[in-house]
Amino acid sequence: MAHAAEHEYTTTGLNHRKLLMWVFLGSDCLFFGALIATYMVYRGQSLVGPYPIDIIDVPLTTVSTFVLLMSSFAMVQALSATNADNKKAIVSWLLATAALGVVFIGFQIFEFNSFKNEGLTLGGNLFGASFFTLTGFHGAHVTLGIIWLVAMAILAAKGRVGSKTALDVELLGLYWHFVDIVWIVIFTLLYLIGGFDVGPAPISGG
Amino acid sequence: MAHETEDTTHHPSFNQYVLIAIILFAITIVEFLLIWDRAGIVDHLGPSKIPLLVLLSAIKFAIVIMFYMHLKFDNRLLGSIFVAGLALAFLVGIAVISTFVGFEGEQRFYAAQNAVPYVEHEAEEESTTSSETATETTETTETETPPVAAGPVTFEISAKGEELAFDTASITADSGAEVTITFTNPASFNQHNLVIVAAGDKDAVASDGIPAGADNDYVQPGDSRVIANTKLLAAGKNGEVTFTAPAAGAYQFVCTFPGHNFTMFGDFTVK
Repeated sequence: MAHAAEHEYTTTGLNHRKLLMWVFLGSDCLFFGALIATYMVYRGQSLVGPYPIDIIDVPLTTVSTFVLLMSSFAMVQALSATNADNKKAIVSWLLATAALGVVFIGFQIFEFNSFKNEGLTLGGNLFGASFFTLTGFHGAHVTLGIIWLVAMAILAAKGRVGSKTALDVELLGLYWHFVDIVWIVIFTLLYLIGGFDVGPAPISGG
Repeated sequence: MAHETEDTTHHPSFNQYVLIAIILFAITIVEFLLIWDRAGIVDHLGPSKIPLLVLLSAIKFAIVIMFYMHLKFDNRLLGSIFVAGLALAFLVGIAVISTFVGFEGEQRFYAAQNAVPYVEHEAEEESTTSSETATETTETTETETPPVAAGPVTFEISAKGEELAFDTASITADSGAEVTITFTNPASFNQHNLVIVAAGDKDAVASDGIPAGADNDYVQPGDSRVIANTKLLAAGKNGEVTFTAPAAGAYQFVCTFPGHNFTMFGDFTVK
């Protein structure tokens, strides 16, 4: 089944590119961990509004969370199709994943815009600064993933993606699922738990 | 040397992937219903909701990395690398958060106590003198001689440019006199108001004014400690307040915009 020529001999017995991707994802945990910790430190410390309770729309974001989860499902189907050398299915599932990602970004643009109209800005208060930095960097990750997905779909349409290059799609999938799990954390902390935060408690001892 | 073959044989089947997607979807719905208690569905869960929500999202997190990212079927080293990064991220997060919790939840009070007004360094020649005084002394000391008044009297007080300070350090009036204060806000961004309170009350009044919000000019409606106050003035606006000077004693005028009260105040003496 496996041909010796397809295997590189490495000290770990693992493909270098796959190892690299997991190292990258591990380090990206730190990146988002720092931003999430910053959000938690600043949580409830804003002196002026708008506060989360004023603007966070949990039902809307539940829908966009669902969209991102479904994009992960489409992604695993793209990998299955790649292993099965089904060119049409590869292109379709990759584009479906990208499309769901675009819908998610659309929700985020809509959300950012309505927040801005309600007075929440990057420089307005601590909530705005930490919220936009965290969700903005996540949105940037999603956007990068969409570009990667579309590029892969174009390659697949040209017949250059199949079981022999399945690792290319697998690495893309790892990145995409990682972006998904980061959102799982953000959704829980910023929306489900933090979405109902009100303004600051009066300063005691003053 | 033994080497791993690319692991594609143990991947879940299509139906298993569908099942995983349904589970993820169902957990998200449960999470939503948990917090969406405006209809009174799960109000009784109370504070137990937060650990429950964290647990549910951790389950989703684990499902995605184990099945969608194949960590369950892949080489252990890959999982170890990822978990190491995740654990480090947790530790960094806990370290950052506990650094601030070290103030025992009073970091905002600590910050407010130590706040200094933000000063733009506009000109080189002025910066040496003005920046030193601005950062070290927050109380203004320009007008050392308080204007004394008998009968109806008018004071003109202005915010000190862009600073969180008044241009007037103190004013004096006779008890019972009709006092009019015209207040000017020349700032290009900051909003200010001017509130008359008894000496010592300023921080408590300002603190209680925060929840009242801008709509109430950051003054708690019906606050008996407030003797008089102007409207909250947007940048570049001016306002006026007229009141009868209270019994002889020490009073202060203060801006109750959140945070301003620590630097923006002056003495009002009634004789």
